[in-house]
Amino acid sequence: MRHTGTAILLLVVANLSHAQVAAPSEPEMIQQLVLQVKALQEKVELLESQQRASDPVNADAGAHPVNTPTLPAVDSNAPPASLIQELHELRGIQWRGFGEVDYKVLNQRTPELGTYGFVPGSHGNFYTGDFDLLLTARINDKASVLSEIAFGEGEAQIFSVDLERVLFNYDYSDHLRMSFGRYHTGIGYYNRAFHSGTWLQTTADRPLVMEFAHDGGVLPTQAVGLSFTGSIPSGRLGLNYIAEYGSSDTHLQNLAEAGIDDEDNGNHVNVGLFARPESIPGLQIGGSIYHDRISDRSHGPDARLGQTIVNGHMVYIRDGIEFLNEGFLIRHAYEQSSTVHNMPAFYSQISKQLHRVRPFFRYQYINANSGGFLEEFVLRHGPSFGMRFDFNDSIAFKTQMDHTKRKGRPDLNGLHLQLAYTF
Amino acid sequence: MHTKPIIVLVAIWLAGVGGITAAVAQADDVAVVVSEKNPVANFTQPELRKIFAGEKRSWAGGQSIKLFVRAPGAHERAVLLNLLGMSESEYKKYWTAQVFRGEAQAEPVALFSNGMQKEALTTFPGAIALVNFQDVKPGMKVVKVDGHSPAEPGYPLH
Repeated sequence: MRHTGTAILLLVVANLSHAQVAAPSEPEMIQQLVLQVKALQEKVELLESQQRASDPVNADAGAHPVNTPTLPAVDSNAPPASLIQELHELRGIQWRGFGEVDYKVLNQRTPELGTYGFVPGSHGNFYTGDFDLLLTARINDKASVLSEIAFGEGEAQIFSVDLERVLFNYDYSDHLRMSFGRYHTGIGYYNRAFHSGTWLQTTADRPLVMEFAHDGGVLPTQAVGLSFTGSIPSGRLGLNYIAEYGSSDTHLQNLAEAGIDDEDNGNHVNVGLFARPESIPGLQIGGSIYHDRISDRSHGPDARLGQTIVNGHMVYIRDGIEFLNEGFLIRHAYEQSSTVHNMPAFYSQISKQLHRVRPFFRYQYINANSGGFLEEFVLRHGPSFGMRFDFNDSIAFKTQMDHTKRKGRPDLNGLHLQLAYTF
Repeated sequence: MHTKPIIVLVAIWLAGVGGITAAVAQADDVAVVVSEKNPVANFTQPELRKIFAGEKRSWAGGQSIKLFVRAPGAHERAVLLNLLGMSESEYKKYWTAQVFRGEAQAEPVALFSNGMQKEALTTFPGAIALVNFQDVKPGMKVVKVDGHSPAEPGYPLH
């Protein structure tokens, strides 16, 4: 019997200890209680306000003593006051800002103008990049407006204002979302995912092939026109489409000498497909084909060529992992001759969030044809690596080292420090 | 020998552990709730992911989906982040990016109590929210996930 008594005691203790493990810890309990008290306070306030509003005595202003504060009448059909307050952010004009401060060192003896977004012609090391103001407003449940105004730094701290994007959006359904205005072209994943917000990027700069044309890039990154996107009924494959028709007006930064080459673009057509398969959350695979006609004044005043840009991308973003891969084939076919140039380019970038630190590695490659429209870019490729440190949800500091091999020119090494923020 | 009482006690103990475990599982289950007028009956997890990531923005009838989530610190918030595969920081960054891309007007409204979520559901017919199963109130329609109701074996959100 003594053993049986001991066994009972042990089992009771075991059950009690199990119950203690299953119960929330003291801080959790306090947190839960605080939340419950807050919820109850809100509920009481709501009930009191509703009661006062519906009270016929209180509703009669004449029945109040002179010094008694009165509540405004509440429409019984309207949402409760606290909820309206919470929902306020869904209405009206919303502002958001993105800024950066950069320090960049390159060991080039003969400066390239506009290299990797470096300030054209600057002999200093500090610059502010783009200061972005994003404005959004909902007109109704289906229609909205978005505009992105960028204050960009040019040479010698002269700033210019650029309306990067201005769009009237109309969401007819998940299968048809329409945008009208100036947009960032859907020639690749990066251009539509990160736009001009440096804070959003893991790295300090955009991949060279995705660099904005006015910052030394090679592709038509912006256009005015129509853009349609939406999902395609495709079950677990998760197919989406994008279709654009508009006018790019790309002004390429001339790397070899001060100046800008106006491509004098015609209207472009861009169509793309991408899949987000349900079986692998975070994965996106897709591609696009872009076509327009541009001018190459280095081959004469009337030299026109067809520009076709084929993109393929595979992106995985989930559980702190960011794995971006994009490949491009840029084809230039001269109309007055049979000359055709094919320029391949790609970048691959991987990073992993480790608490507040995100180390990253990127390799990029671009191979311009000799004698081609973009020959000054030559063959260049190389790695970049560094890390991003998030002080909080709004401020990040990035360090990045670049090593670039250039055909026929000395290798290029760079150090890029950046403070990026949003507000 | 006194084996019979011991067997009985072990059975009681196992029943106690099982009961507590089942109670914890039920208490931890988070229900997907919509307006009573919403005809939807079941979501798959990928569908839920698309909705709470803002990729799917309209119900089948064309009405806009209105997302309501709990503020940081709530159990429902943890379940949401687990569903999306994001940390709190990544979630904030994701929605900042969605707004910047023009894919959303604002981050989903974060409410401090399930009472407020209930008010939202009754106010907005297109609303959807995650609510602790034990806090589900009349006026909230609970939708199955992957064919399972909360507190049923195989229910994925807890």
